Parts: sequence; C-alpha cells; structure tokens
Amino acid sequence: MTTKDIGPKNPVQKGTEATIDYVDERSGIKTGTRWFLFRNIPAGTSWFQTLGFTAMVVFGMQAITGIILAMYYVPDTKGGAYQSIEYITNEVTWGWLVRGMHKWGASVMIIVVFLHMARVFIWGAYKYPRELTWVTGSFLLLLTMFMGLTGYLLVWDQKAYWATVVAVNIFASAPIVGPYIGDILRAGPEFGPATLSRFYSIHMLVIPGAIATFIGLHLYFIVRLGISEPPWSKRRLRIERDEEDARRAAAREKAKALPGSVNYPASWPVEAKEGAR
Amino acid sequence: MKPADKKAYDKDYAQAKKTGKPFFPYAIYKDTVIAGLTVIAIIVLAITIRVEVGEPVNPATTDFIPRPEWYFYFAFELLKIFANQNVLTPVIMATFMVPNILIILLVVWPFIDRGPERRIWKRPFALGLTVIVTGLLCYTTWLGANSPAGVASQGLPVSGLDEPATKGMAVYMANGCGSCHMVAGVGAPGPGPDLTNEGAKGWDNAKMIAWLKAPKAPMPSYASLPPQELEDLSTFLNGLGTKYK
Repeated sequence: MTTKDIGPKNPVQKGTEATIDYVDERSGIKTGTRWFLFRNIPAGTSWFQTLGFTAMVVFGMQAITGIILAMYYVPDTKGGAYQSIEYITNEVTWGWLVRGMHKWGASVMIIVVFLHMARVFIWGAYKYPRELTWVTGSFLLLLTMFMGLTGYLLVWDQKAYWATVVAVNIFASAPIVGPYIGDILRAGPEFGPATLSRFYSIHMLVIPGAIATFIGLHLYFIVRLGISEPPWSKRRLRIERDEEDARRAAAREKAKALPGSVNYPASWPVEAKEGAR
Repeated sequence: MKPADKKAYDKDYAQAKKTGKPFFPYAIYKDTVIAGLTVIAIIVLAITIRVEVGEPVNPATTDFIPRPEWYFYFAFELLKIFANQNVLTPVIMATFMVPNILIILLVVWPFIDRGPERRIWKRPFALGLTVIVTGLLCYTTWLGANSPAGVASQGLPVSGLDEPATKGMAVYMANGCGSCHMVAGVGAPGPGPDLTNEGAKGWDNAKMIAWLKAPKAPMPSYASLPPQELEDLSTFLNGLGTKYK
C-alpha cells in the first residue's frame, strides 16, 4: 500500500523547507555541510587522531568558563582583583567549579596539545602536503603556553605575581629588543596596575583571537588536504606486502636469467632444497 | 620530497580516500567520545582537587617563592642549568638562545625533515628525538616539581658573622633569597647562582647595592628594600666565603 497525497503539506514543514531553501540558495549551506560532513576519510583513521578535536573542545570549554569568570573578575591591583577571585571561589554559586574547570582545563589543554603534536610527529603527518598545517599548529602550541603565562598573573597572589615578575624579566633579557618587550609587557618600567590590565586584555582578547584565527587556518588545511592516513593502516600494510612479494618475484626472475645459473622452476627455494638432497 | 614522491603520495592518498569512509559519523563518533571523556576528567579534577586562593600580592615584601605553573618547570630547570654566570654557560643561553632555537626548530621542522618515509621505525633520527625530548621534558618537569621551595628558617651554616653581617643574613632569610640561591649547601640550587664564595669576587658594598637594585634577568630588583638593609645585605654577601665561612 502506498501513501497517497491527501492534500496540502503541513504548513510548519512547508515553511521550514522554504526557509532552508531560501538560505541555501544564497549561502550554499546545504552543499557546504554535505561537503564537510560526508567527505571521505581514510578507513584506517584511528583513535589517536581525536586529540586535535579534543584540544579544540577544551579550548571551547576554556572560552565558556573564561567568559563566566570575566563576569565577576575585576582587574584592579588595589585589592579588587584578589577580592574578586575570593568572591568567585567562596561566594558565587558554583564559582569554585567554574574556576577549577578553567584552571584544570589549562593544564589538560597543554597535555592534550602536546600529545597531539607527538602523534603528528611520530606518524610523520607533517610531511608533504601538510607542512603548513604543522606550522599553524606549532603557533597554536606557543599561543597556548602564552595563555597559561598571562592567565597565571590574573589571580594576583604572591606566587603568581613573583613568578610573572621573573618571567617578564626573562623576556626583557633578550638582546637588543628585550628591554622594549619588557616595557610593552609591563606597560612601563615597573609592575603595577597597568601591567595587570594589560595581561588581562592579552589573556582575554589578543591571544583568544589569535588562537581562534589559527584554529580556523588549521582546520581549513585539514579539511582541504584530508586527515593523514596512519602509516601502518591495513591498506598500507597490504600494499607493502604486495610490493615485497613483487620484489621477491623480480629477484627470482633475475636469478633465473643469470648465465650459468640452474634453471629452477617458479617455486625456487623449495625445489633448490630438494635438489640438494 | 622529490616530485615523483609527491605524485606517488597524492595517488596513494586519493586511493585511501576512495576506499575510505565518511567523516560523519565515523570520525565524529571517535572525536566525541575522547573529547567527552576529557571534559569529564576536567570536571572530576575540578571537584576533587579544589583550587585555592593564595596570599594576596604585596610588592613591598620580597618574601616570595617564584615558582611558575608546572608546564613551565622545564624552562625553570633550564635556568638552573645555566645559573652560574660564566663564559661557557651564560644565563642568556637559558633565557634566550636555547628557547628560541627550540621554537624555531619546532616551527620549521617540516622543512628540515622532507623525506617521504612516514613509518617511525624507518626514521631512527625522528624516533630518537621523540624519546629524548619527551624524556627530558618529563625529567625536568619532575625535577621542578620536587625542587626545594626555600631555606629552613633557623639560618645558614655560616660562622664568623659580625653585627652588620648577622643583620644582613636576616635580610637574606626574610626576603626569600634562598628560594633561588644556595649558600654552603642550604637553599635552592637555582635559578640563581651558588653564593657560597660570593666574597671571592671582591666587590665593594656600593657595587653590590647597585646590582641588587638593578640585577641581571631573571633576578627581580630589590630596590624596594630600605637603604640600611641593602647595606647590611651587601656586607653579608661580600664577605661570603672569605670573612664568613
């Protein structure tokens, strides 16, 4: 039994379809989504290749928890910063959880990014044609480290303050440009209120913007070039076995053709043994 | 990579893609599982190991322990290796040369290693590098995590102290110098140099005070100390290893 068209379509469904068609006609969203989601990836794509996506998700989590923290945080060196951290930790509903997630998220992100890099390195996945994917990724690693450095100062406690004083001194010790970099980071020759708001702005606006940009580039390269195939996927191993067999066969042919050699049949090693017996 | 190798790779990858499977749902499924587990792990960590609120900043007291986050411990340990300022191992190696060389190597690595081989057991150099770099990072992070935080409060094993030097040692103890420097085996073995024989340099107090006010990085400035304390501290430091042993 087939269903018969018994009248006009449900107006909600009709409206939705019309809207999607309208947007698709102008943006190509349907084709784009299909191209992105249903593109083929090598069959051997492994669990190790989930670390990049994981790093991106952790970054997203850092962004969300960071936005919530920014709703309460005050970049004020005259006690405001410290009090707002205390307030978030002790007073705000689930504030301790959000702050804990942001702090632990930073550590986990460093680990995930490092493991992701190790995977790419060990698999030789940075080789042709994915060299620039690696370059954008290495900038993402450096930006992640800078995120940790700038965020550490914002809690404005003794440990963070003095560790950052030393870290900025290290930057300032570079030859020629060092003193200028030091002044730019400190917003002057001394650590003070301007330093904290500068680190706050770098941590919340400059680096997240840079990371988002580089994630975009990184993803563009990945989608355009395709995810690399594990060098020891089933398909690769089969090809290598076939190549090895072909090489052996060729060697046998060559041995057969040599002048003065005994003309053994195709199953040469076995026959040779029997001949010797 | 030679053009022929590139062509061979492109052909091989096209084949892999043709016999492959769609991104959705196969890759998305694995990605979601691992990313989900990671986020759950972060939440569990945040609940079980609560983040503390530390002591508030007081730039006037220099009683501090400059310890970075654990993921900078390796850089911190590097400072200790190059702590003693001499021609062979200047501090600039740890603060500038080594980190920048490593960063440049990291960024341009694909342009250095251009061979077509991808299997790790056929790339002995890359394999060795992976093992050595990972091992060094783990080892230095472990060292940083276990480094002594400061000096015991009872004092330093130094004798022959006169009155200004006794006061100078108190200034030394009160300002956390021991969290970066070592005197006669007491204190942290870095990032600052060992001060046991500091007096052997033959500096006068004016030179030492000038240094304490504007030292070489990564040491922070002690210009905020009162002049008398700077004077006493300098007397103490300039006699270490010579007058006070």
